[in-house]
Amino acid sequence: MKFTVDEWFVVLLARTIRPAETVFHGFGSPCAQVAMHVARRTHARDITLIEGAMYAVNPDPPFIPPTSNDASLKRGAAYSMRFEEFFDAAIRGDVDRMFLSGGQIDGYGNTNVTAVGPLERPKVKLGGGGGGCNLAATIPHLSLWSSRHRSGRALVESCDFITDMGHRTPSGDRAELGFTGGGPQWMVTELGVFDFPDGHARLTHHFPDVTVEEIRAATGFELRVAGDLRTVQPPSGAELSALRAVDSLGVRRGEFAPKELDRVFDHDPAVGCAC
Amino acid sequence: MGLQPHRNKVVDLAAAIADVRDGAMIALGGGLSARLPMAAVREVIRQGRRDLHLVGSAHSIDVDLLVAAEAVHRCEESYVGFEQDLGLAPAYRRAAETGTIEVAESCCVTILAQLRATEMGLPFLPVRGVRGSDIRRLHPEYGEVTCPFTGEVLVAVPALKPDVALLHAPLGDRYGNLHLEQPYVLDERFASASMRVVATVERLVSTEDVAASGVTIPAHLVAAVTEVPFGAHPASCYPNYAYDREHLSGYVKAAQSGGEDLAGYLKTYVYGVADEREYRDLIGSERLAELGRWPESTVDWKGLFQ
Repeated sequence: MKFTVDEWFVVLLARTIRPAETVFHGFGSPCAQVAMHVARRTHARDITLIEGAMYAVNPDPPFIPPTSNDASLKRGAAYSMRFEEFFDAAIRGDVDRMFLSGGQIDGYGNTNVTAVGPLERPKVKLGGGGGGCNLAATIPHLSLWSSRHRSGRALVESCDFITDMGHRTPSGDRAELGFTGGGPQWMVTELGVFDFPDGHARLTHHFPDVTVEEIRAATGFELRVAGDLRTVQPPSGAELSALRAVDSLGVRRGEFAPKELDRVFDHDPAVGCAC
Repeated sequence: MGLQPHRNKVVDLAAAIADVRDGAMIALGGGLSARLPMAAVREVIRQGRRDLHLVGSAHSIDVDLLVAAEAVHRCEESYVGFEQDLGLAPAYRRAAETGTIEVAESCCVTILAQLRATEMGLPFLPVRGVRGSDIRRLHPEYGEVTCPFTGEVLVAVPALKPDVALLHAPLGDRYGNLHLEQPYVLDERFASASMRVVATVERLVSTEDVAASGVTIPAHLVAAVTEVPFGAHPASCYPNYAYDREHLSGYVKAAQSGGEDLAGYLKTYVYGVADEREYRDLIGSERLAELGRWPESTVDWKGLFQ
C-alpha cells in the first residue's frame, strides 16, 4: 500500500491530540478537521470533538464537505452547541486544544490570517481570523499547521500583521498580556514537525524525503533544531484507513501545492499506531 | 428600541428593504455558506443602497456581492471568504487592497461581547484576548479596563447596536416567530441587539407549525417578515436545500476576473431580475430541486459537492 504526503501530514496533526481532550478546529481548515476525526477513530476515542462552524459535539459525518457549516457535519451528533456556548467554553478555558494556521507564521507561533503587506494598502487581503484573536489567548494548547512551508512565504521572520497571538508579540509575552492559555504546542508542516520549548519553534522531526537544509532554506525565522532530530513516524494502517473513510471527498488535498501531492510513500504494514 | 407589537408583519421584500437607509449598520445573519440572507442582499443592491456598514461573523458571497455592487463603506466581520475550497473573496479583497472600503476586521468573540453589551443595556464588556493582536490597531474605539477585583487589565469593547439585522429562516409565521436549524450563528444575538429585524423565510406557516418546530427567534424581536423560497440561494438553508457550490464557484470566477465579468454577474442575477421569483426562474426549478435532494442518499448529498 502507498500513501501520500497529505495523508501523513493529517496523521501527524491528529497525533497532537491527547486522549480525553476537548478539541476544536476553525472553519476553512480541512486538514485539521480531518485530523480530529482520525484521532477520534484511533488513539483518542474519548475526545470531545467540536466541529468548527457547526459546533456539533462528536458528530460522525458521512463525508467532510468543502464548506465548514454544512449539515453533514452534525450527522450523528446528539447535540450541537450554540455559537455563544462554544465561545464561552473556549474563553473560560474548557476547550483544551484548537488548530490554527495562517498565511504567515513566525517563530513565536504568531499567525497572520488578515493581510500580507502594509495594512493600509495590503498586497493580499486574506480572509480573516474568525474567533482566533480571543481564542488564542485562552485555549490551553494550540496545534499550528502550514501546508505551504516550502514556498518560503509561510514561515516568516515576523508577521506583517499578527491576527492570533503565539508565545510572544511585540506587546509582550503571554504572562504580560494576561493570557490564560498555554500558546502553540506543536506546529506541523509538509516538511517537518516543530515544538515550542522556551516559546520558540524548534524542529523535532523532518519528513524522510526532506533535508534540514531544505527546511532551513524555506524558513524565514532562525531555524532551531532539536539535538535528537528524527524522521516523522510513519502512519499506521489504522490511521490511514480512518482518514480515507472520513475524507472520501479528499478535501484535505486542497491545502497543498499540487507538486507536494506527488510525494508518495510505501506503507510498512509492520508499523503499529505510533501514538 | 422597544419590543415589536404583536401584529401581522408580512410585507413584500421591496417594502421590507425600503426602510434600510444609506449608511446603515447592517447585521448579516447566517455564516459562511449557510443561511445567508441573499434575497435581502440582492434587494438592497437593487434599491441602490450606499455606504453601508456591514457587521457579522464569518461570511462569504453576501458581503462580497455587496462590496462588488459598491454598496459598502465599512466591513466589520471576523472573516470574509470562500474557505479553503474556493479561496479569498475577490471583490472584498480588491476593495481592501485598493482602499475603497474600510476594513475593520473583527473577531467572533469580540462581536459577541459587543452584541451582548447592547442586550444587557451596558456600554461595554471586557474580553480577555485581542491584546497583542494587530486586530486592536483596526479598532481605535476599543479601550482598556482594569478589573476592580483582580487588577487584571482587559480590553473593553463598546456595545454594538446594528440599525437592521437581515435574517433568513426556513420557517416563520406572519407575526415574525422564526424557526432556525443549527447553526444559529449570531442570529439570535443580532435579533435582540438590533434596532430592527427584517426576516425572509422559506415558508410562511401557522404559529402552531412554527411552535411545533421550535421558535428560535420570537415575534417580539422581529419587525418585518416576508416569504422568499430559496431566499438563501446560493447559500444553503437546511433542511430545505444544500448550498450551490457550482454557482458559488461561478461567482468567484466572475468576481476574480472583475470588470465585465463581475458586472455581468450583477446584471444577470441582481439588476436584471425584478424580484426573487424571476431569480428562481433564472436559476431554474431543476437546479433548485437538485439542491433539495440532499436527504435522499449520502451519494446524492456528496454528489452536490464533487
